[in-house]
Amino acid sequence: MTKMLVKDIHELNLIVTGVGGQGSVMASHIVADAAVAQGLKVRVGETFGAAQRGGKVHSHIRIGEDIYGPLCPEESLDILVGLEPNETLRLAVKYTSPDTFIITNTRPVSSMDANIGADKYPDVKEIVKGLRKLSKRVIAFDATKLAIQAGNERTMNVVLLGALASIGRLPYEADSLLKAVMERVPPRTVEANMEAFNLGLERCKEILHKSYILNL
Amino acid sequence: MSIIEDRPGKRVLLMGNEAIARGAIEAGIQLGAGYPGTPSSEIIENLAEAAKELDFYVEWSTNEIVAFEIAAGAAIVGGRALFACKSAGLNVVMDFLMTLPYTGVRGGLVIVVADDPGAWYSSNEQDSRLAGFSSEIPVFDPPDQQSAKDMTRDAFDLSEKLELPVMVRSCTRLSHSSGDVVLGKIRHEKNTLAFDKHWKTPYRWNVYGPPGPVAKHQWQKNKMHIIKEYSENTHFNHYFPAKGSSRVGIITSGMASNYTLEALKRLGKRNDVHFIILGMPYPAPPIKVAKLLSKCDSVLCIEEGEPLIERQVHQIANENQFDIKVFGKFSGNFIPVVDELNPDKVLNAIADYLGMEVPAVDKSRQQLKNDLSKMVCARSSSWCAGCPHLGSFWALKKALPPGKVNIINTGIGCYEMSGYGIAASPIDAQDTKESKLWRALTPYEMTDTLYIMGSETALSQGQYHVGYNDGKIVSILGDSSFFHTNLAPIVNAVYNKAEQLILVLDNFWTCMTGHQPNPATGITAMGEERIVTSIEGICKAFGVTFVRCADPYDLKGTKEIIKEALEHKGGPAVVVMRRLCALQRLRELRKVRAKPPLYKVNEKCVGCKQCLYLGCPAIGFDLSKKNANGKRGIAFIDPLQCVGCGLCAQDEVCKFDAHDKIGEGIF
Repeated sequence: MTKMLVKDIHELNLIVTGVGGQGSVMASHIVADAAVAQGLKVRVGETFGAAQRGGKVHSHIRIGEDIYGPLCPEESLDILVGLEPNETLRLAVKYTSPDTFIITNTRPVSSMDANIGADKYPDVKEIVKGLRKLSKRVIAFDATKLAIQAGNERTMNVVLLGALASIGRLPYEADSLLKAVMERVPPRTVEANMEAFNLGLERCKEILHKSYILNL
Repeated sequence: MSIIEDRPGKRVLLMGNEAIARGAIEAGIQLGAGYPGTPSSEIIENLAEAAKELDFYVEWSTNEIVAFEIAAGAAIVGGRALFACKSAGLNVVMDFLMTLPYTGVRGGLVIVVADDPGAWYSSNEQDSRLAGFSSEIPVFDPPDQQSAKDMTRDAFDLSEKLELPVMVRSCTRLSHSSGDVVLGKIRHEKNTLAFDKHWKTPYRWNVYGPPGPVAKHQWQKNKMHIIKEYSENTHFNHYFPAKGSSRVGIITSGMASNYTLEALKRLGKRNDVHFIILGMPYPAPPIKVAKLLSKCDSVLCIEEGEPLIERQVHQIANENQFDIKVFGKFSGNFIPVVDELNPDKVLNAIADYLGMEVPAVDKSRQQLKNDLSKMVCARSSSWCAGCPHLGSFWALKKALPPGKVNIINTGIGCYEMSGYGIAASPIDAQDTKESKLWRALTPYEMTDTLYIMGSETALSQGQYHVGYNDGKIVSILGDSSFFHTNLAPIVNAVYNKAEQLILVLDNFWTCMTGHQPNPATGITAMGEERIVTSIEGICKAFGVTFVRCADPYDLKGTKEIIKEALEHKGGPAVVVMRRLCALQRLRELRKVRAKPPLYKVNEKCVGCKQCLYLGCPAIGFDLSKKNANGKRGIAFIDPLQCVGCGLCAQDEVCKFDAHDKIGEGIF
């Protein structure tokens, strides 16, 4: 498991975004749970629209001694985790700086506006290209595919948490995050979630390793 | 469940609403009541879950004033009670809130209101602290989860000390955000219940009884100096003096105090400004505020909502004859007067006030961001896949007479999305020049008037009685709204013979706020089974002569019933559209491990998009494939979202038989 890199933490800003029903609120609580277990000060701000499902959802997570309210200021993110590529881009144009680590699922969820022809859903390749212009560190992969491989498509959010655990930016070890996952998910899905977490972690490590070799 | 853990000192992550519920539990709550409303619903939900184990009573009442009066009843006989609602819900209780403080209470009565600055989930962004000001009761405004818990707990003690109700005002950012909270001790002993006639005051519990309401108002007025003393001494109101010779000050409260602290840190001015954080913004502590004002030439008030602190600061400056400039929402132009505050807005306001520059984002990066944001696809809110409302609105759309200017009046609930429109196709004001020409493509563009719960059935009556005749008049409400504030308007419509079509969209639950039970559900907040209250039975008893029930999954049948109802004369016609909420149906199926069927688009699809206009989020359009007409574009159904309701396959939607059912069973 990856060793922790950030120890003394003053302010870590993270956003998890997606479409309602994908589990972004749960994912953000898991990240926060693990921080609370380490005795860290935490704030999680949820922004879900009026509808229960299908709408834009993003949760702000702030960890550290120097944090106040639950909302991250613009351009302040350390990490952006996107469960849906269009939503990742929506948040990235507001909250990311060139140093923000962006981790995104590449599996699109179409919108009503695109469905009826009122708007156009962007090409996912173009989204990823755009994200790379915004930040030096972008990890994009089909997390939904890995979740299906793990045996339960609904574990897609946990695949991305596995990826998050591998980048060494959290104030705790990957094991602590996995433990928090196990405590939050429904008991009968524990196995699939564990598998999902590990698949995400391994895939992200692989991508990081490849980009490291490319940069040599 | 950490909110009932009796482990003082333990640090847990709690949502604002959980923290408030925990505060009530630590205070030894005996009764909780409320009506669901985002962002307040989780307070009563959490209390309901804890109630059996900790032996107290919790209910979801039919509306806010019923809930508030239930809580007041408990407090009059000495019990500790909490009432919770959202901002708009407080308007429903105003009648009683303005009167109850004349007699006061015996047991602690805490009113929790969750405001919604920015109107994320509400039809307005009212500041409920002003209701505390109007009814002359103390108001807490917690900045974080820890103080939300502590203030709620202490509010019970304060309420008993003052013998007055006390308000805790939350907001979206507090109620729906989570933070680490150190748990306190749970008070297990309960208040002794007693009804004391003529206790302290003759006819204490009867405002009209001698010496009458004015004397009782005076009794309440006499409490204000005790409240101000509390406000002066409580650690929730804290003064941070500047180091050195600063002549500027800031006074803030609630969520805004976080943004203030963050801005001062980012500007490096934490020690260079005098500032006060008010956990109790009404009444503000006069001595503490005067102390700050005496050291400053100007002061900036930063508060979420209306200028309540600013008003009091003016008054305190005036009383002390200070020559000081007071800025805020009345004056100064530093703080935006509408919408929710956030860290960036407050940073800019404080920098502006202090005459400092905020480093701007690099120009080329800003350009890049602007360009990329144009690529982002709009995502309008939609109903869930298989939502019965999809069928209800489709059937209504088909049944309404074309070429007429029909008016659809809708209330609050999931069906209000019928008025949300499509974000990517904003309507030009020109479109309304000829109302007759306006065609709703999807059900999301159908609702014409949308304000509050209960207005729908009464607005229709006004339109009818004044003689509106260019089209049909329709009122749309849900099961919970029916009981909430529509009973009196329906009685009125029958008695005064107002012709209108009333559609009650009964999906058995109060869904939009997260599935709370109501009298149409058959279960209570504490999980007890009950006999469902019959909506049709009530309507018939009220004297409605046309009462029918329709299944929104049967589009043709429903359309015919609506057509018939639209022709009904001599009073309102009620059609109850009855189908269980699709999410609840999925939960039922999951419990028994049943798999619902799916629908799939076949090669007969001509790309007419009718099934897309149905508005189901499971249906998409693939431009890369050719349709039966040889042109580009074919509908497809996302198998992961489809629940198998079969609406898209019905003749009323698809005339080409292009949707096949896959799998057995029914949804």
